[in-house]
Amino acid sequence: MKYEAVIGLEIHVQLNAATKLFCDCPNRPGDEPNRNTCPVCLWLPGALPKLSREALEKASLACLALNCTIQPESAFDQKVYYYPDLPKGFQLSQHHKPLARNGWIDIVGEDEKIKRLRIHHIHMEEDVAKLVHEMEGRTPISLVDFNRAGTPLIEIVSEPDMRSPYDAMEYVKALRTQLRYTGSADCSMEQGTLRVDANISLRPFGTDELNTKVEVKNMNSIRNVGDAIAYEIVRQSECLDRGEPIVLHTRLWDPEKRVTMPMRGKFSGPCVPDPSVAMIVVTDDWLKDIRRRLPEMPGRKAERFSKEYGLTPDEASNMSQEREISEFFEESARQGIPPRKAASWITTHLVPALRDRDVTITETPLTSGRFARLLAILETGVINAHAAKEVLLQLLASDRSPDEIVETGKYRQVSDNSELEAIVDKILADHPSDVDDFRGGNAKVMGFLMGLAMKASGGKANPRLLKEIFTKRLG
Amino acid sequence: MKTAPDIFTYKNTSQQEPAKGGLLAGKRVAIQPNMCARGWLTDAGSRALEGFIALEDATVVARLRGAGAQLAGSARMGELGFGLKGDTGAQAVAAGEADIALFTDTMGEARVAAAAYGLFAFKASFGVISRFGLAGLVPSMESWGVVARGPEDIIAVMRAVAGKDGSDPSMPDEEPPDLSDIGSRPVKGRTAGVIKECLDGLGVEEMRLFQAGLERLEKADLTVKEVSLKDFGLFRAVHNVIGSVEASSSAGKYDGVRYGHRAASAKNWNEMYLNTRGESFGTLIKEYLFQGAYFQFEDYRAFENACRIRGRLVRGMAIAMENIDVLVLPTRRLAHDAAGASTVKETYDAFSLTLYANVAGQPSLHVPSFARGPEGDMGIQLTVPRLADARLLSVGMELSSTAQGAERK
Repeated sequence: MKYEAVIGLEIHVQLNAATKLFCDCPNRPGDEPNRNTCPVCLWLPGALPKLSREALEKASLACLALNCTIQPESAFDQKVYYYPDLPKGFQLSQHHKPLARNGWIDIVGEDEKIKRLRIHHIHMEEDVAKLVHEMEGRTPISLVDFNRAGTPLIEIVSEPDMRSPYDAMEYVKALRTQLRYTGSADCSMEQGTLRVDANISLRPFGTDELNTKVEVKNMNSIRNVGDAIAYEIVRQSECLDRGEPIVLHTRLWDPEKRVTMPMRGKFSGPCVPDPSVAMIVVTDDWLKDIRRRLPEMPGRKAERFSKEYGLTPDEASNMSQEREISEFFEESARQGIPPRKAASWITTHLVPALRDRDVTITETPLTSGRFARLLAILETGVINAHAAKEVLLQLLASDRSPDEIVETGKYRQVSDNSELEAIVDKILADHPSDVDDFRGGNAKVMGFLMGLAMKASGGKANPRLLKEIFTKRLG
Repeated sequence: MKTAPDIFTYKNTSQQEPAKGGLLAGKRVAIQPNMCARGWLTDAGSRALEGFIALEDATVVARLRGAGAQLAGSARMGELGFGLKGDTGAQAVAAGEADIALFTDTMGEARVAAAAYGLFAFKASFGVISRFGLAGLVPSMESWGVVARGPEDIIAVMRAVAGKDGSDPSMPDEEPPDLSDIGSRPVKGRTAGVIKECLDGLGVEEMRLFQAGLERLEKADLTVKEVSLKDFGLFRAVHNVIGSVEASSSAGKYDGVRYGHRAASAKNWNEMYLNTRGESFGTLIKEYLFQGAYFQFEDYRAFENACRIRGRLVRGMAIAMENIDVLVLPTRRLAHDAAGASTVKETYDAFSLTLYANVAGQPSLHVPSFARGPEGDMGIQLTVPRLADARLLSVGMELSSTAQGAERK
């Protein structure tokens, strides 16, 4: 039988607030173990939780960025279970009254049409401690690091609107783009600041049944999310074809073996309203203030870039996916360089260079002013594109001006005819058979000869003049 | 009568002089070992907190110190503050070891303990005193209770400790009661209402004592009227269900991982939990925690119903108090000894008349000697709407002279 997959995602995102959710401890789980702890996050007798305003604001920004409605009232519940990573026998989470409901996010579907994926709700919760299992001699021991206990999370629960691994991957990407824009979260799957759990069920094509689902956890990249879901769809299809029922359970993705394996059933306890954390009551003024802080989001920005700067839809999309890049592009374009040229240089040269160095623009000394100046020098013909790229790489490492780098690095392009003619003549003399070839009608040889001449000039030859000389000599 | 070593689980021997000239200058205050005082053993009367030393002062303790009180020590308390089994707070005052004893009043502990020793007791409105530093059990019901020989000391304590505290964000965002002019003018309203349903089930002798108490109130110029709150009997069930659920959650942190007793051996951490918790809690509190876990895991509907009924009871109280100034109830059942209660049922029997104030968050004042007979003092307690603490204490001031008159008879 042909099946259709019904997929919903539950995504935990760590907020990058400065402190934990209910105390003033730094939100830095990676520090030396148990350094960032206090009576509240260790839940010592007499401690009381104090909700972080910053975490609430960042969570609310995230909700708005995902088009959710912030609820007038939300409250924390105790999710009761006993585990050593939980210092008080329950996790504080918004079960009954979540912070926001009814959101959505658009992706471009496999059919290239816009597909709207709905978000059921977003709630806040605290993260739990980290367990480290070691051996002490021959005795296995478990160590608890409470640095992560109480750090602020939001959980984004989608509707089961996704139908394929592709949908799920695009949903995660789109959601990550939106959240990063707000500055509320770093959203790195590799570093665990964005964690995806997928609920997958199958149904015969053409029906709208909602069948028993299986939850899959432990994917640490977007690709793994797609692969795990694809694997699970095949596994469940085979089960159904064999006539085996699907049983509600949780499976772990094994990134080495690339399969999902059942995990031991985790006990899920009841949720009781917490009497100590004050209820969150949102006022209109406060909500207005949060809305004001929401930046122009990528979708709208891309439209504006097309209109204001004449970018193609692809260019506009590339220039708006990441907030830093979009701001850098716009600042550069405002300094008078042709916007499409700036976009093209950012995409083909700057972004790959940043990726190679594993840094963001703001982590380098490069400013939009110096970037614009470099492209302006390129426009004047003082340097060629090859040299400009070299200068750009240097701009990523030092705060010298492009003019200074061009001068001291001798990047100025050679536009002196006699110098270039000498180079061309020598190459023609050294490659008589290629010259014959060209004259015999093989136009491709020109590229080869140009390459040799460019190399001979140390990459500094003015390509336009070089071509003129070749054409004249071979003509 | 017990002597100091039996009364105190921790006796303060510090030579440090208290702050001078405060509201409580010269007063010796006994606290309980679930109230954090920096450097003191704070074990809440339970092996689950064995050896736990408080890292900082509770807000109340800090404010007491600031007001010049001398902290006498920590009296013994019922395990985790549930009931009065083993409690010595009121004894500390009766024996002259302290002038004032602080209680965790979760179901009426301060009032019922005071009744046994001829003392006054006050339970403040919910949310008026910071709970920061109180290792409590039932967060939505517990309040600080003050036991003393007369209302003056209670008022002084209230003035010193009540009011907003940034460390306790669970305190409602509202104006705290103005305690500044208590007793400076005569009380205006003088109508006392008796909830007739709260008398259901009292014995003949108990009825006689309470009637005598009401007559004394009338002699003190109060008009006594009967009012009705049909659901009064539900306070107990609501307290039991919500209280045990909250207790089960609150005690979840006592797992032996970070402090307190930990079982000597276990094969894995589940067994470590089971052994540790099994060894840590006494039978009475265990029974209560089991009840709470039952409602959490097996009958959550009962908990939801209790929460809904609680709202109805709060409204019912407001209606019952519409045309009267104070409500008056007996404080305790003479047939049910709180100190001897060793099951949850027996404990609830002993507090059946006081726990309404914890469910509804109202202030309540126990006045001794008004309803005393050969079997002991049943006591009367007065209550007013939440946040009307100042008015209640003013009535208390007026009655205290009457009470002293009754004492001499």
